[in-house]
Amino acid sequence: MLKIKYFFQQSWLLLFSSFCFGLLIAVANTAWLPIIEQNKKDKLNNLMRGLIADANTFEIAIEQLQIPIQKGRVEKTNVYKALDDKGKTIGFAFVAAGSGFADKIELVIAVDQKCEKFLGFKTLSCNETPGFGNKIKDKFFNSQFNNAPAGKLQLVKTGNPQEIDNEIVAISGATVSSTAVVNMFNIYIDMVKQELQKKGLF
Amino acid sequence: MANQNPSSIAYWRALTAGLWRENPTFRLLIGMCPPLAVTTAVKPALTMGLSVIFVLVCSNLAVSAMRNLLKPHLRIIMFTLSIATFVTIADLYLRAFQPEMSEVLGPYVPLIIVNCIIIFRAEVCASKANVLISILDGISFGTGFTIALCILAGIREILATGQFFGISVMPTAFVPCAAMQMPVGAFVTLGLLLGLTNLLTAKKAG
Repeated sequence: MLKIKYFFQQSWLLLFSSFCFGLLIAVANTAWLPIIEQNKKDKLNNLMRGLIADANTFEIAIEQLQIPIQKGRVEKTNVYKALDDKGKTIGFAFVAAGSGFADKIELVIAVDQKCEKFLGFKTLSCNETPGFGNKIKDKFFNSQFNNAPAGKLQLVKTGNPQEIDNEIVAISGATVSSTAVVNMFNIYIDMVKQELQKKGLF
Repeated sequence: MANQNPSSIAYWRALTAGLWRENPTFRLLIGMCPPLAVTTAVKPALTMGLSVIFVLVCSNLAVSAMRNLLKPHLRIIMFTLSIATFVTIADLYLRAFQPEMSEVLGPYVPLIIVNCIIIFRAEVCASKANVLISILDGISFGTGFTIALCILAGIREILATGQFFGISVMPTAFVPCAAMQMPVGAFVTLGLLLGLTNLLTAKKAG
């Protein structure tokens, strides 16, 4: 009994403060979480709309699709169906994640309604080195994926970046970031295509 | 100053100490992670600075309010608890109302928890002084830190992009120096500013 009394004498302030501070965080979290969730949705929608301009709405076509990345790691992603004004499917978009040079890279990738060609990608999160890996956002690299065949892409060191084919010319000085982006396309597109085919969505 | 009330001198000292005399970045060289990591542009630097001011003022206020109840062996955990709470609130606020800045700052906002300026002020000032002095101290050190971040970020942003606060300020012939956006740019700029600070201090003392 004395030990319990001693324990409370020593730690009542810590226990009381923990409760008060925890309550403060809970109130802030409850108040702002819906806004934070909405911000995330808006960002994803804006990026998808930037890739599939004619889309009116986006609906989840496949929920929590499991993508085996490497060394037993699995990433989960939603595949969205882009619908035009008449409700017709005009493409698909999904978030792809992979390891870059500095940090995890997250991309939003879009393909056409028949999964025959890519409609491009936009970066959801990228902390690659400014001036080097960060150039994956630049038109030189980014535009090579627009209308490229939706199959295995190959990274090459030299070539014509304006030629639209399955060869992607790497960013000089940022081979790791360029490889990461191409690998993400190759890993995700196979799984997404298979799953869409299984569900008869194209 | 000689005719002033001693308490008003203490308040004035608390309000001005962090601006130059004990500026955390240029004079004390503490909390050096944000000055190196988030000073690629003025906007993120200012956001980080304002977040630090908020956390410093609130944690100083909380620590000062409970200073008479603090047990010596529990004080560090109490400081950490209060700092972590206000950092979490600042992080949630940025994610809700400044999502772009939150993304740019990335893990550096949650890392304010381990910024030694805050625990240093809690230990040196807030755990000993009254609430008003602690709040003034938080404003002073937070503002000094923010000014230092903005000076560093301003120089780096102008040299790296030719812009200041996102507005073009350099002539068209200006060639941007990409290295200024990289860690090397942060170290070189900080080193030169520290040299300048030492020069100014030596001149003042001499």
